[in-house]
Amino acid sequence: MLEISDLTVAYGGVVALENVSLSVPEGSITAVLGANGAGKTTLVRTISGLVKPRHGSVMLGTQQLIGRSPEAIARLGVGHVPEGHGIVSELTVDENLRLGGLWRRDRADQRVAIEEAYELFPPLRVRRSVHASNLSGGERQMLSIGRAMVARPTALLLDEPSLGLAGGLLAQIMQRLATLVTERKLSVLLIEQNARSALSVADQAVVLSLGKVELRDSAERLAGDDALRHAYLGF
Amino acid sequence: MRLFVIYTVDGITNGAVYAAVALALVMIWRATRIINYAQGAMAMFTTYIALIVIRHGAPYWLGFVIALAAGLVIGAATERILVRPVESRPPLNAVILSLGVLILLEAIAPMLFGGQTQSFPTPVSNIDLVAGGTTLDFSPFDLFTVGAVLVAMLLLFLVFQRTTLGLRMRAAAFNPEIARILGIRVGRMLTLGWGLAALLGALAGMLAAPSVYLYPSNMDEVLVFGFTGAIIGGLESPVGAVAGAVGVGLALSYVSGYIGSDLAPLGGFVILIVVLMLRPQGLFSFGTQRQV
Repeated sequence: MLEISDLTVAYGGVVALENVSLSVPEGSITAVLGANGAGKTTLVRTISGLVKPRHGSVMLGTQQLIGRSPEAIARLGVGHVPEGHGIVSELTVDENLRLGGLWRRDRADQRVAIEEAYELFPPLRVRRSVHASNLSGGERQMLSIGRAMVARPTALLLDEPSLGLAGGLLAQIMQRLATLVTERKLSVLLIEQNARSALSVADQAVVLSLGKVELRDSAERLAGDDALRHAYLGF
Repeated sequence: MRLFVIYTVDGITNGAVYAAVALALVMIWRATRIINYAQGAMAMFTTYIALIVIRHGAPYWLGFVIALAAGLVIGAATERILVRPVESRPPLNAVILSLGVLILLEAIAPMLFGGQTQSFPTPVSNIDLVAGGTTLDFSPFDLFTVGAVLVAMLLLFLVFQRTTLGLRMRAAAFNPEIARILGIRVGRMLTLGWGLAALLGALAGMLAAPSVYLYPSNMDEVLVFGFTGAIIGGLESPVGAVAGAVGVGLALSYVSGYIGSDLAPLGGFVILIVVLMLRPQGLFSFGTQRQV
C-alpha cells in the first residue's frame, strides 16, 4: 500500500502540488491523469525522493519515504520508470537490467529476476548485448519496466509509459503490466496524459489539475461516464 | 635511423606517463564533468610521501604502494570534502576549486618537504640494456614504466567492464539521477572514482620523478602534456586519451631530439592549441557533444 497524504511541493514560489492525497492499494493500479503542467511528474519525483516537498507524507507500508534519499527509497521497494524511459543508453540491454538489482544482497535471486524480465519482454532477450541507444521506443519502455521489476519492488511508479509508443505495442505492454500487478501484488501509480490507455488497465483514477486533485473515482466509472470524460479528460 | 629509434622509445616511455595522467583526467571528467587541474600536484604530493618512506630505509616497493594508497585517500577526500559541496553549482566553481587545490598543494609542499630539487630512486636500473655487445635503446626502468601503465590500464578496464562495482560506477557517471532511483549510492561511486583517478596520478608521479626529479611543481609540465593527450582523445574516451597522450609523448620527443629540447614544452602547447582550434571535440570523439 502506497499512501500519499497532504503533499505540497513548490519550486521557488510556484506551487506544483497542493495538499494532494491519494492511496494505491496492493495489487491495484491508480491512474493519475491530467494535462501538461498538472503536477503529475512532480508527484512521482517527490515519491522517489528526487524532489523535496514542502510538507506532506508518503508511506510505503509502515515506512515514511519523505526525508529519505532516492537510493534509500529505491532500496525500500519503490520502482521508478521515469518519463522518457530513463535507460542508460551507453550501456547494453543486459547491463541496464542488471543495474536494477545491484543493490540487493541476494545474487542468485538477482539472476532469476533478470531471467524473469526477459520472459516478461522476450524482444529484449535477442537484443541483450546491444547498446541500449540502438533500441526502438517500445523496446526502451520494456527495458525500463523490466529493469524496475528486477529490484522486486512493492510499488511501481510509471511516468507516461505511452509516450512515443504505437497503440498496439502500448496495449501489449499495458496487458503485461496488468498481469504483473495481480501476480506480484504491486501497488502501481500510473501517470498518463493518454487517459484512454490508462483507464483501460487502471482500477482507480485521479485527475490532477494545476497541482490539485480535481476528481477521484473508479477507472471504470470515469471511462464509462461521457459527461465526466468530456469535462475532465477531453475525449 | 639510430636516433629515430632512441627518440621513439623516449617518446613512448614519456607518453606512458602522460597517458596515466590523461586517463586520470578522463575518469574524473566522465564522472563529475570537472577537469582536475590539481591532478599533477596530488601526484607530486604522494611522490614526496614515497620519498620520505624510502629515505627512512623502507624498500622502494613499500614506498610505491604507500604512494598509490595515499593517492587513493587524497583523491577520495578531495571529492568528499571539497568537490561535493560545489557539485550542484556551475562547473566553473569546481574548476576554480581544483586550481585552488593545485596552488595549495604546491604551497604546502615546500614547507613540509623542502623546496629544493631532489633525485628520486628507481626500482630497477635506469641504464640502457646491453645485449650481445650492442646497446639497446631502452633501460629496465623504461620497460617498467610502460609495463606498469599497461597493467594499470588493464586492471582499470577489468574493474569497469567486468565487475558489478564497475557497472555501478559507469551508471553513476553516465546518468547519476537514473542510477540513484535504481538504488545506487552515486556519492560513493564518485568518491571512489576520484580516488582511483588520483591513484593513477600517483603512479604517474612515481614513474615521472626519476627523470623530471622531484620538486613542488615537478608535475606541472606532465599535467599539461597529459591534459593535451586527453583533449586530443576527446576527454570522453579512455582509449582516445591513451592514444593521444602517447602521440604527445612521441611528438615532443621528436621536437626535442631533432629541433631542440628547449622547444619541447612549446611544442606541447602548439599541439594543444592546434587541436582545440581545429577539432575541439577531440580526434577520437565521434558522438554528439554531451551537455555539461
